[in-house]
Amino acid sequence: MASITLDKITKTYPNDVTAVNGVSLDIRDGEFMIFLGPSGCGKSTTLRMIAGLEAISSGDLLIGGRRVNEVDPADRDIAIVFQNYALYPHMTVARNLAFGLRLRHVEASEIQSRITRVAALLGIEPLLSRKPSQLSGGQRQRVALGRALVREPQAFLLDEPLSNLDATLRASMRTELIKLHNSLGTTIVHVTHDQVEAMTMGERICIMRDGDIVQVGAPMEVYRNPADTFVASFLATPPMNLLPGRIESDGDGLAAVVETCRLPIPAAYREAYASHAGKPVIVGLRPEDFQAVAVGGGRTAPVALHTITTEVLGPEVILVANFASPGGPEVHIRMPRDFRAKTGETVTLHFDLPEIQVFDPGTTRVLARPFLP
Amino acid sequence: MNRIAKKIVPHVILTVFSLVILMPLIWIVRVSLTDKLTAYKIPPEIGTLGLMNYVDIFQRYPFVSWFANSFIVATASTLVALPLATAMAYSFARLNTGGALLRLGVLASQMLPPIILVLPLFGVFLLVGLTQSRVALIIAHLTIALPFLSWMLVSFFEGDMARLEEAARVDGASRWQAFLFVAVPVAAPGILAAGLLGFILSWNEFLFVLVLSGPDTQTLPVGLASLETHAGVEIAPLAAATVVSLLPVFALLPFLRKHLIQGLSLGALK
Ligand SMILES: Nc1ncnc2c1ncn2[C@@H]1O[C@H](COP(=O)(O)OP(=O)(O)OP(=O)(O)O)[C@@H](O)[C@H]1O
Ligand SMILES: [Mg+2]
Repeated sequence: MASITLDKITKTYPNDVTAVNGVSLDIRDGEFMIFLGPSGCGKSTTLRMIAGLEAISSGDLLIGGRRVNEVDPADRDIAIVFQNYALYPHMTVARNLAFGLRLRHVEASEIQSRITRVAALLGIEPLLSRKPSQLSGGQRQRVALGRALVREPQAFLLDEPLSNLDATLRASMRTELIKLHNSLGTTIVHVTHDQVEAMTMGERICIMRDGDIVQVGAPMEVYRNPADTFVASFLATPPMNLLPGRIESDGDGLAAVVETCRLPIPAAYREAYASHAGKPVIVGLRPEDFQAVAVGGGRTAPVALHTITTEVLGPEVILVANFASPGGPEVHIRMPRDFRAKTGETVTLHFDLPEIQVFDPGTTRVLARPFLP
Repeated sequence: MNRIAKKIVPHVILTVFSLVILMPLIWIVRVSLTDKLTAYKIPPEIGTLGLMNYVDIFQRYPFVSWFANSFIVATASTLVALPLATAMAYSFARLNTGGALLRLGVLASQMLPPIILVLPLFGVFLLVGLTQSRVALIIAHLTIALPFLSWMLVSFFEGDMARLEEAARVDGASRWQAFLFVAVPVAAPGILAAGLLGFILSWNEFLFVLVLSGPDTQTLPVGLASLETHAGVEIAPLAAATVVSLLPVFALLPFLRKHLIQGLSLGALK
């Protein structure tokens, strides 16, 4: 087991594409870290540099405190599971699992017992004598995972290993991976596109964009305190509603004004937003922070919503509406499963004011405010 | 009715095509079993059939020597070419050795008329005293086999193969071990197909052998050609010799069918 430290790491490909741009990150020993970001943001490149498959253009990479920039992938004691699995097609499943151990001259009896153990763990015992071409996608995925597990490496790198699976299998493999991490306690870096994987699997999420790290933090921390509008609009579906508005004085306090709607700012945030009083801002409202009934003590504020449509999903209903006025910006609001509204109907909902986020329209960064639990 | 027609029509067409291809072969087999006079009769006459031509080629001509030379040269040049071509293809595909320029250059050498290559080769062999030797023929055939085989093999080491090797590298393999234990076995169908192609290229090669061989080192194509010049064309023994020289190719046919198609269709991964 080992920590992985990236210190101002940059990767410029020969075609002058800078895929990773001065990234610094501390992955703790035994941590389950998620890399999340849009396609092409440099997640795989970062993973490949950690594995040693891609040369590092500048910066330092430390594994377990040792600088490994020039260390051969074979000597980094790290296992990687590729998106397309990359199982050796000419070897049986058992040989696939044994390959890394044989190269390291592990004793035959030890290899056998490790394979037996891992095969039992992943439920692939009946497949051991098959070739990869005779396996289903889910089985291949488990074999690829098994090939990494038998090595008992210092860290696992997973590059979207679940993306080829159907929804059911993905859900169960997600749970398997979490259980595995709980029992092994090995450092895991998991790359994903998937919101649910990002929120549920990792101890921390590292959100990347255009070769930069935008924000690192525990899933709920990132979700409730997005660093900028990119993170706010990237995490969760439907994402945070980002509405153009202003901060205005409101008696002795402040209010966020969007269209004709005034949202009083909780007293605890006044100091944080005071510098933007009288200026345009972007107001961020999560779809799940609206409710049908007002809460006393000025905790909520009423909002008029002009229904465009409703999406009845089963466990919940997504209300798509114009905010505040019929020509107002479009918002998505998450309501309980029995909520209904007709197109054109005006619905008054109540926004939970402490959940408000305000962003600077120039820098797109959040105006940092105290975090309410 | 319609269904029967659907089955019959393709067979009729295929039979006609097969006959077009097979007729010369059938004609040669017939000629090999008759004498010179009957051979030219039009319309073809079967006459008395016999194996005298087959006996003839072994008694009156150094057929065994031709056959042995062909076999030795084809086998040796293929065995030498195959590992070299595999390594070349690998370095083209994975290390981009020499860039596109070298890759094209290698192939371009095969676009020159062979006669342009054979004369300098002859000069070199003369200098080092290798003319008329089998070694010279093997080296000459290598100059044909290497470009073709390496080009054929490049595609096997491109694409998904890189992922497999990366998996092996992370698993603890050195670059060399990844090549040997993963890349080569996975490309094996292609390498085998390339080997068969190399063997056939050498087996049928005429011009290089004509210029570079001596009386004791002639291979089948040149030996057979000599039957055409002595006293007119010795058509009947020539046919018999042709039939025998086709035998190894027929022997390779089952392998060819299985591996050439598999090897060329690149389905090895997935
Ligand atoms: N071998 C390469 N040569 C040149 N550019 C590359 C190479 N590999 C990746 N890139 C570029 O680097 C950038 C980052 O690529 P990378 O594969 O790391 O993205 P990613 O975040 O993994 O995306 P995805 O989610 O689609 O897998 C992209 O712009 C990509 O085009
Ligand atoms: Mg990727």
